[in-house]
Amino acid sequence: MTSFVNIQFSNISKRYRRRSILDGVDFKLHKGQCTLLCGTNGSGKTTLLRIMAGLEKPDTGTISTGLGEIKWRSYRRALQAKIMYLHQHPYMFDATVRQNIAYALPHGYSAAERDKHIDEALQWADLEALAGVSATTLSGGESQRVALARAWLRAPAVLLLDEPMANMDQESRLRTHALLRQLKSEGMSIVLTSHDELQFQSLTDRQLRLKDGRISTDSIQTQAENVSAFPIGQTARHHTA
Amino acid sequence: MESLNSATFDAIRLLATGDSELWGIIGISFRVSTTAILISIPPSLLLAFMLANGRFPGRRLLISVFSTLLSLPAVVVGLTLYLVLSRQGPLGDLRLLFTQSAMVLGQVALCVPILVAMGHSAFQAADRRAWETARTLGASPLRALLTVMHEVRFGLFAVLLAAYGRIIAEVGASMMLGGNILNYTRNIPTAIALETSKGEFSQGIALGIVLLLLAFGLNGLLHYFQGKGRFAT
Repeated sequence: MTSFVNIQFSNISKRYRRRSILDGVDFKLHKGQCTLLCGTNGSGKTTLLRIMAGLEKPDTGTISTGLGEIKWRSYRRALQAKIMYLHQHPYMFDATVRQNIAYALPHGYSAAERDKHIDEALQWADLEALAGVSATTLSGGESQRVALARAWLRAPAVLLLDEPMANMDQESRLRTHALLRQLKSEGMSIVLTSHDELQFQSLTDRQLRLKDGRISTDSIQTQAENVSAFPIGQTARHHTA
Repeated sequence: MESLNSATFDAIRLLATGDSELWGIIGISFRVSTTAILISIPPSLLLAFMLANGRFPGRRLLISVFSTLLSLPAVVVGLTLYLVLSRQGPLGDLRLLFTQSAMVLGQVALCVPILVAMGHSAFQAADRRAWETARTLGASPLRALLTVMHEVRFGLFAVLLAAYGRIIAEVGASMMLGGNILNYTRNIPTAIALETSKGEFSQGIALGIVLLLLAFGLNGLLHYFQGKGRFAT
């Protein structure tokens, strides 16, 4: 896992037209922790996540690491290899599942090594049977597993997920939960958003509630033991990104 | 009707027997237009992408300008460049007038607005998540751009066809900038115009057949790729 300095976002504000989305939010990314951003629709969860991912520039606020304050451009440049963002509905390129997963593999591997790592990722997410299928035809749950397999292969220090279980059936939720648990156990820091905090209670270490663009509650979770109902996400990793 | 039939028969005979003058004209046409579109594609598509996805001052104005230039008459491009490239013009010292290079310049001026304006629409149709996903998966800006281009490849291919069709069939700019010199700057449309004015319809019809076959072939290619096509990562 890539070493990663804790990042502090301070006094982050963001407006769209005249509407305030975030209003002076302070947030710290803790290494190895799973943080849940919860709140109602329109509370600013996704915007905060996209700012962390470097996809949206905050109007005001500062970003600092252990080395001091850094500018937005430097943050964006530095984070590319370290932070990965998954959309609520992960985007699948117009290619096979295998090719979609291969996209995440860093350069520098031989063809044989690439095939081996992609096979491992397919096995990890229980996608072997779908390897040759066009990824654009997958269900929401299957697309999420492809996205998580890409994350597993890329191994970022921080994984940001926007409503990862929205509109999923129970089986897909359990599978996604098992894969997230596995990623967390490998030391990946995870930040996810949801309007339903109960879904992730057993996974999260910390919970932040956003209301009207501000953090209204910041609490530490006590995790319940949760044994996965699905034997997936247990393939050993043989590479580091 | 009889003269049309005999002219068409003569045209097919000219094509089939490999008439050197006729095929020379076809070669010049393809060389000039292919060079022009190859020069135009990289900057035009990059600009189209930036107009579709970027937020910078003057963006809306640029979109309006390129959309307006879509309907720019070829003779106006020819006249403007003629004045620029003529002896008294600012680039007169380059002595480009009545050369294939001048024809290429004219065709670049004609196809850039098409590539930018229609390319902008094609890129706007792309899902923004494609770019964001590519970047978050570690792709460089260039690789991410190529990935997005692949995602909208059918739209972009149609744009390229429209631009190529426009420049290979235009007569105004080529006539004014190339001068219609046999074996040097005479291309398909200027040859058709000349032969028709002389009453020599056979060569004009033969060249017209080539243009039609080209349009048919390119469209067939587009539909073939729309029905197939997968990309390798």
